[in-house]
Amino acid sequence: MTGSIEVRGLSRTFHTTVRRPGFAGALRSLVNPERVAKHAVSDVTFDVAQGELLALLGPNGAGKSTTIKMLTGILTPTSGTARVAGVVPYEERERNARNIGAVFGQRTQLWWDLPVRESFAILRDIYEVPKAEHAARLKEFDELLELSSFWDTRVRHLSLGQRVRCDLAAALLHDPPVVFLDEPTIGMDVVVKEQVREFLRHQVAERGRTVLLTTHDMTEVERLAERVVLINHGRLVLDGALDEIRRRFGSTWQLRATLADPHTEVAGLPGVVVVRREGRQVVFGPEGPGAEALSVHQALKLVIERYELAGIAIDEADLEDVMRAAYAQAEAAL
Amino acid sequence: MNAVRIAWRVTRLNFRAQLEYRTEFLMMIAVGAIWQVSVLVFATVLLTRFTGMGGWNSSDVLLIPATRMLAHGLFVLVLGRIHALGRFIQEGVIDTYLVRPMPVHRQVQLQFFPTNAIGDLTVAAGLMVGAIARSDLDWTAGRITYLVAAVFGGMLLEAALFTVVACASLRFPAADYWGRWLEELLGTFGSYPLNVLPRAVGGLLTFGLPLAFVAYFPAAVLTGHGHDTGVPYWLAAASPLIGLLAYLAARLLWKWSLNHYTGVNG
Amino acid sequence: MTVLPPAWRVGRVTPLGELHTPPRMTAALLRLAVQIVLVASLWHGLYAAAGTTAGLDRDQAVSYAVLAVLASRLREIDQYAARDTVIQHMHFGTIVYWYLRPMPPQRYYALRALGEQLYGLAWSLAGYLVCLAAGVVQPPASAAVAGVFALSMLFGQWVLYYVMLVIDQLCFWTLRNGAALLILIFAQNLLSGVYAPLWFFPDWFITLSSFLPFQATLSVPLSLYVGRIPLSDAAFQLSVQAGWIVVLALFTRFLWRRAARRVISQGG
Repeated sequence: MTGSIEVRGLSRTFHTTVRRPGFAGALRSLVNPERVAKHAVSDVTFDVAQGELLALLGPNGAGKSTTIKMLTGILTPTSGTARVAGVVPYEERERNARNIGAVFGQRTQLWWDLPVRESFAILRDIYEVPKAEHAARLKEFDELLELSSFWDTRVRHLSLGQRVRCDLAAALLHDPPVVFLDEPTIGMDVVVKEQVREFLRHQVAERGRTVLLTTHDMTEVERLAERVVLINHGRLVLDGALDEIRRRFGSTWQLRATLADPHTEVAGLPGVVVVRREGRQVVFGPEGPGAEALSVHQALKLVIERYELAGIAIDEADLEDVMRAAYAQAEAAL
Repeated sequence: MNAVRIAWRVTRLNFRAQLEYRTEFLMMIAVGAIWQVSVLVFATVLLTRFTGMGGWNSSDVLLIPATRMLAHGLFVLVLGRIHALGRFIQEGVIDTYLVRPMPVHRQVQLQFFPTNAIGDLTVAAGLMVGAIARSDLDWTAGRITYLVAAVFGGMLLEAALFTVVACASLRFPAADYWGRWLEELLGTFGSYPLNVLPRAVGGLLTFGLPLAFVAYFPAAVLTGHGHDTGVPYWLAAASPLIGLLAYLAARLLWKWSLNHYTGVNG
Repeated sequence: MTVLPPAWRVGRVTPLGELHTPPRMTAALLRLAVQIVLVASLWHGLYAAAGTTAGLDRDQAVSYAVLAVLASRLREIDQYAARDTVIQHMHFGTIVYWYLRPMPPQRYYALRALGEQLYGLAWSLAGYLVCLAAGVVQPPASAAVAGVFALSMLFGQWVLYYVMLVIDQLCFWTLRNGAALLILIFAQNLLSGVYAPLWFFPDWFITLSSFLPFQATLSVPLSLYVGRIPLSDAAFQLSVQAGWIVVLALFTRFLWRRAARRVISQGG
């Protein structure tokens, strides 16, 4: 059985009732409710290969969680199809459940009132994992996540970082080929984050698990993902290798110049625009997106030649800027 | 003055929020009414089955549940949210209250509008009118004043008890459980002349869990049973004052507990 | 080799959670003891000036009331402490995990409830034996009464399980609508005869309650125990209880299906 994910034209529309303001409006809504359709996900298509870690990115409310819910089988798509490890998740929820592990951000699946290890034992029962296998896997997870120092503590007393590590372990105890992680490292400290990333890398590289990850942490994407899928307003706007995206959108830069004379009139230059100005401080940026833009060195040359400066600094784009540029372009294209 | 204005505005908004869901709104009123009716049915069932309970005639004895229920209805309306505090703590709501520039207690009270209190009060007021109409007592201004004071004292005493539970749940979130028991105890044992119980048990419900002061003692004083309650007459008569003092003490305890609040969930 | 159902550990959640929190057990013990003393004294007090009322004499009434307290203990632990109630899962959004496991939520729920009821049974039995030894509760009149009571109590707990299940299932729809929930809880408390034996109530009330499932949970078995319902009527009462079990089983199955559809159309 391979752990690949196939998504074809997946769409999900929610219908909600609009509440009209005021008392008369409330009455009218009662008699004649006005329904509006919200397209949470529309026509999304992508694949994840076995043993690949894919980052599903997008701003809040873009449709990431809805997509993950459809792939885990807890939400039925309005149209389109999905296959996870060969199973259509929303048609055979229980069969799909055996193939997948899932962690939804801060929501824990552990039993609040029990020591973590009891939760693991209950899950072992539910997933019918043989005892020896369970023990071996727990040992492996303990080595990577250092669980044993707190796994006899009751969940209610765990810190966030400890709890999410336990949740990760709980989601993987039945050896699922496919793993869904919806913002797993949100709110964690740097050390724990790094530990979790190391764990995920290990699960992908050594265990061949397929991981679909959503996150807002670009460092995480840089460290973990080779490929990203970007969705916005429910639509897929970009699907590609991280390197390629960097190449396409990565030439964003900013020049922070300090003018020698605060009264100098400043205007754009060919290929360079003024992003903002505050007194003597002027920030220049590239005109036009991505590949066609000037390189930072060309721009530097132009700016220095044209204006009298007291100082200048270069900010090269990090992944966050790259993504911003990518969103902006996708937005413009819609 | 500003505080009163804010409280009034928030209360109005909360009330409007409850109106948003009209079925829920009407059902919540029904809930209050049904709760009171269930207590009432229980009490009247026993009162009709066991006439002359504790040496009280049945019209006098009706004053006990009437006082207790009216006090309870007012408590739910004015101070009842303290009852839900255990839940707020577990959900971490209290932590956001602590950083806002308004006393935490007031924020707790302004959390939502207790629609069910409307039902509670309607039934309780009806019962009180019925009890007064049936009683043979001479309703002088003094008696009426004392009755009003007793109802407020009962409300404050109930509020004090739940405030103490709330203080405990600031430290042990599980204390919420005691709150539910407390409500049940007040409902089941608050409506009878407690002298039907053995002395030790009656003492427990007077000095251990002081529910005798909510309705039984004031009603005993009003109906002339004040000398056979098992406590000195002056103590029974001072019930409204005891309610007030208990509430003030509970608020002091609340203040102290809040200063020592260390948060839940690490 | 083993006759335990798969995933029986799910049933251990409640007892384990309690055993890990000794203060909670002390609290439960204290509450049970105080409640029994209070209830027994109240009924002794009420009967002090009366003979047989509503077909119950003093010993019957006290036995009934104390047994009602003990039986309530069967499912009276602090449900919210474990954060495993439907309403809490809906609130925290963790209900999705119930639908993410290769075990149907209804089986998970049933196992949890079974564990909880067995744990409660241990408490109730211990309490019963103490009360029996102390003479607070009268022993059953005959072995036949004891047997019929045990069967009726089992049926009663079964009905109670479904009633509690319906209450929990409502939470799939009523996060904003606690009122229906509270009405159902009140109905259970009042009409099951926990507060006072239904025999004391007016006739119209008894008639009304005979059309509802609530009295099957507690009033029927306890009335059999104290002899207020004679053995000759037992067969009829047991079949009514069994009827409720069938009806509620079908109804809750329907609700589970609707709940799943709701979760799957809203995404939890």
